Amino acid sequence: MPPSLRQAWLRCCTFVRSRRADAEAAREVAAHLVLLEDEYRRAGLSPADASVAARRSLGGVDQTMERHRDARSLPWLEDLRRDAAYAMRGFVKAPTFAVASIATLALGIGAASAVFAIAHALLIKPLSYAQEPARLVRLIGHSRDAASPAGPPVRREVGFSIDEANELRTRTRALDVVGIVAPTVMGLSGVDGAGNLAGARVSASVLDLLNAAPLLGRRLTAADEATGADVVLLSYGTWQRLFGGDLAILGRTLVFEVVLGARRAIPYQVVGVMPPEFRFPAAQTAFWMLPRANQSLPFRGRLLARLASGWTVASAASEVGETTRALRQLGPDIRFELVREQDELVAGVRPAVLALAVAVAVLLGIASLNVAALAHARALARRRELAVRAAVGASRSRLVRQCLTEIVILGTLGGAAGIALAYAALSAFRTLATSLARIDLAGPPAFPRLDEVAIDGTVVAVSALTTVVAGLAVGLTAAVRASRADPQQAVRPHERTRGAAQRGRRALVVAQIAGAMTLLVGALLLTSTLGHLLSTETGYATNSRLTFQVALPSSAYPDSRLRAFAEDLVTRLDGLPAIATAAYANQLPMVQLRDSGGGLWTSPDAARGPAPGGGADARYVSRRYLETMGVAVRRGRGFADSDGAGQPRVLLVNETLARQQFSSADPIGTQVYIGRDVVPWTIVGVVGDVRQFGLQRAPEPQFFVDLRQWVPGGTPLFPAGAYFVAATRASPDEVVPEVRALVKSLDPEGALFNVASMDAIVSSAVTQPRLFAALMTTFATIGALMAAMGIYGVLAFLVHERRQEFGVRMALGAARRDVLALVLRQGAILVAVGLGLGTAGAFALSRSIESLLYGVSARDPQAFVLAAALFAAVAAVAMWVPAHRATRVDPLEVMRCE
Amino acid sequence: MASKDPARIELLQGTLDLIVLRSLSTMGPLHSYALASRVSQAADATLTLNQGTLYPALVRLEQRGSIKGRWGTTEHNREAKYYEITAAGTRALTHETARWRRLVGLVDRLLTDEP
Repeated sequence: MPPSLRQAWLRCCTFVRSRRADAEAAREVAAHLVLLEDEYRRAGLSPADASVAARRSLGGVDQTMERHRDARSLPWLEDLRRDAAYAMRGFVKAPTFAVASIATLALGIGAASAVFAIAHALLIKPLSYAQEPARLVRLIGHSRDAASPAGPPVRREVGFSIDEANELRTRTRALDVVGIVAPTVMGLSGVDGAGNLAGARVSASVLDLLNAAPLLGRRLTAADEATGADVVLLSYGTWQRLFGGDLAILGRTLVFEVVLGARRAIPYQVVGVMPPEFRFPAAQTAFWMLPRANQSLPFRGRLLARLASGWTVASAASEVGETTRALRQLGPDIRFELVREQDELVAGVRPAVLALAVAVAVLLGIASLNVAALAHARALARRRELAVRAAVGASRSRLVRQCLTEIVILGTLGGAAGIALAYAALSAFRTLATSLARIDLAGPPAFPRLDEVAIDGTVVAVSALTTVVAGLAVGLTAAVRASRADPQQAVRPHERTRGAAQRGRRALVVAQIAGAMTLLVGALLLTSTLGHLLSTETGYATNSRLTFQVALPSSAYPDSRLRAFAEDLVTRLDGLPAIATAAYANQLPMVQLRDSGGGLWTSPDAARGPAPGGGADARYVSRRYLETMGVAVRRGRGFADSDGAGQPRVLLVNETLARQQFSSADPIGTQVYIGRDVVPWTIVGVVGDVRQFGLQRAPEPQFFVDLRQWVPGGTPLFPAGAYFVAATRASPDEVVPEVRALVKSLDPEGALFNVASMDAIVSSAVTQPRLFAALMTTFATIGALMAAMGIYGVLAFLVHERRQEFGVRMALGAARRDVLALVLRQGAILVAVGLGLGTAGAFALSRSIESLLYGVSARDPQAFVLAAALFAAVAAVAMWVPAHRATRVDPLEVMRCE
Repeated sequence: MASKDPARIELLQGTLDLIVLRSLSTMGPLHSYALASRVSQAADATLTLNQGTLYPALVRLEQRGSIKGRWGTTEHNREAKYYEITAAGTRALTHETARWRRLVGLVDRLLTDEP
């Protein structure tokens, strides 16, 4: 080993075993002294003189030991160890400061880490299942809607068939692999608990470009595509949930039911199972199949392509767009845009996540300022101690190091506690962000990449960095102040804080108040949004309403038998003591499925095409649907027992339809025709509007037909299966086993799925607004409390510094009220300035969350006033305590202290 | 203080190591007091040295394996730690001596060549 390396190694060893090395050095120095003393005594000095002379000659025992220590070990580490021990002793002596600092930092860093973990998983981390995910792109076209040519351009995916996609790849150099993707829904019969599953039809090239290696078996290939083989890949979750992870799944034939179209069953052979991390295109995707061409129409899906090397999203956009325009013979008014697949997956939540990131940065700022204020106060309290240390020879750098060590320890403890907090916060986040795993419901899609949100190495590293930066920002001011410690202060009993220091501290508090105000406004706007959503008049009852579907083999249940089964089931459900009434329909509120039934017309026409703009929404409902669902009849009447088959055809419209189509006249008694009908229906009633496709979407026109009078036509009656609803006398969850048993008794193959109470469905629809409101409210509460602590600190300090003055004032006859007002005025100025600045900050934040708001404007004056009032109330408490203390100053006491 | 007296010199970094090695090489094992005394004698009054300043050099040299300390007793029956030069120390001495001579020669030439 080279000598220098050997030396470094021994230094480290000595550092670790410093006690032993210290003892050895002490022994040697002592022996040295003895020899020196012997020598001086022999020279004729008295033993006492000899001892002094020996020490002088050596250059001081302590200094010698110090030199020895510095040489043999790592002096800076030794110092650090001593500083750390010193700091810990200080914390134990003044635990309030340590606990307050650590708690503040933990809250700030915890919140920041949690939000960073979310932002990292959603916006930054590359897709786990794709190779080179940054080069995967989609093609988006912007064009004006044919229905509203004057409106803003609509953003749509451009559809491609496999052949068109292949042609695109041949014609452009910008893309090297091109495939198509289309989400689909299929029923899986004969498998317990399956029901309707979300899946995707993907071209084989998509699996190639995702480089998706199956966990079991093989993936779909171009050969399958060429032969049109009916093969399917299952997701890991589906394989586990429905087949218990059975290895014999490979090669097994599963019967998939086509829903959302003519009901038919198609056997598919399972050729593989994908790994758990393969969640393409969505988390709930349960299976993958190849695109299946219809007899006449080519199967089209959205594009998924990989950029050729050397091309960027920007540079490829026009080439791909123009090629597509030529290929698909599209007009010149469409503007094309390439977007990264990864960005598109999270596009829905990006503004919210960015807003949260801004909010948490503000919170972290408030927390850091708080710790800075705490450290500042502590530095002032320790003026004397530091001055004494400076007086006895501690160097300036030594004092700075001492202060920094304290901050680093606080930062480390606060950071560690913060990461623990973030863990807890994220598990709460995952619970809050999880919506019903349903594909048929309206409302925002499930939170993307939720299962990837976790505290990982990157998050910990960023948190550590944040801690260091926050700690340094906080620590440097305190350290610099310490380095200016004036030895004279040690002997000067009292000295007013310099004006500059006071002003600095007030500026910190004003910044904190401004931050708190910003967060409060954000929280109030989001809470108000949630309140508006939850108090929306849905038009139907949600309490004690159980909804479910029944999976039945389609081969045994054509539409007519399905209806017979449903009628039978509803009759038996009505007989259960726990159920008041039961009904079924082609769809329920919040189910996202459109069926215009061909539109509602006032004249017959056997040859007409589809209704423009989709037309009104057709609801085929059973006899007691309206009362079971709690939909109100506004005018006329609802369905009656006398409206059976063969009776005069009657129909109900909702208020929106009545207003839109029969604006002036009373629609009751009007004869209308559905689609190509030639026999009229008579409108007998107007029912209340319902929020069908989401709480924030205005009601759309609907008409209701009693299923007893419906003559099945060309289109399937229950494209996604019948939806059942029961008004229960007990809690909906408790009724489920009875319902399940009843279904089994009617058909052993029948299985319940999509079981949920209406309450749960509505609650799931507001998952994201609730989540954002909860997070922002948490941040705002913490921020406001911290800012209040800041105000308290400044005023408490002011009262302490000026207690003599207050004592004298009161001794000279000032009323308590005057002193109280004097202190409160100081605080009120800070609050007023802070709130003023905060209003500006809140304007900026509210603009960034505008897209998340509903029923409230981003400039809502109420929110601003309420936020200011709320903060003022909290601040008043924080100011009252020190102000009150000022009035309790005893003049005699103060004089005596002098 | 030493720096206030122009006649006195401050030791260059590393010079003390060379002096210690040289002393141990010519005089055999010595304890720290004897070493310090020896350095003071050799230096006359040109160099004031707190004896304690010797320790960093001793620690350094021992950690580099150039010298080796062993507890023993003096002729007056006092305990003391005796330092002895090792084989590696002897090699280092040769090497350092040569380097020192080169350095001194260079500085000397620069000083005398001045026109």
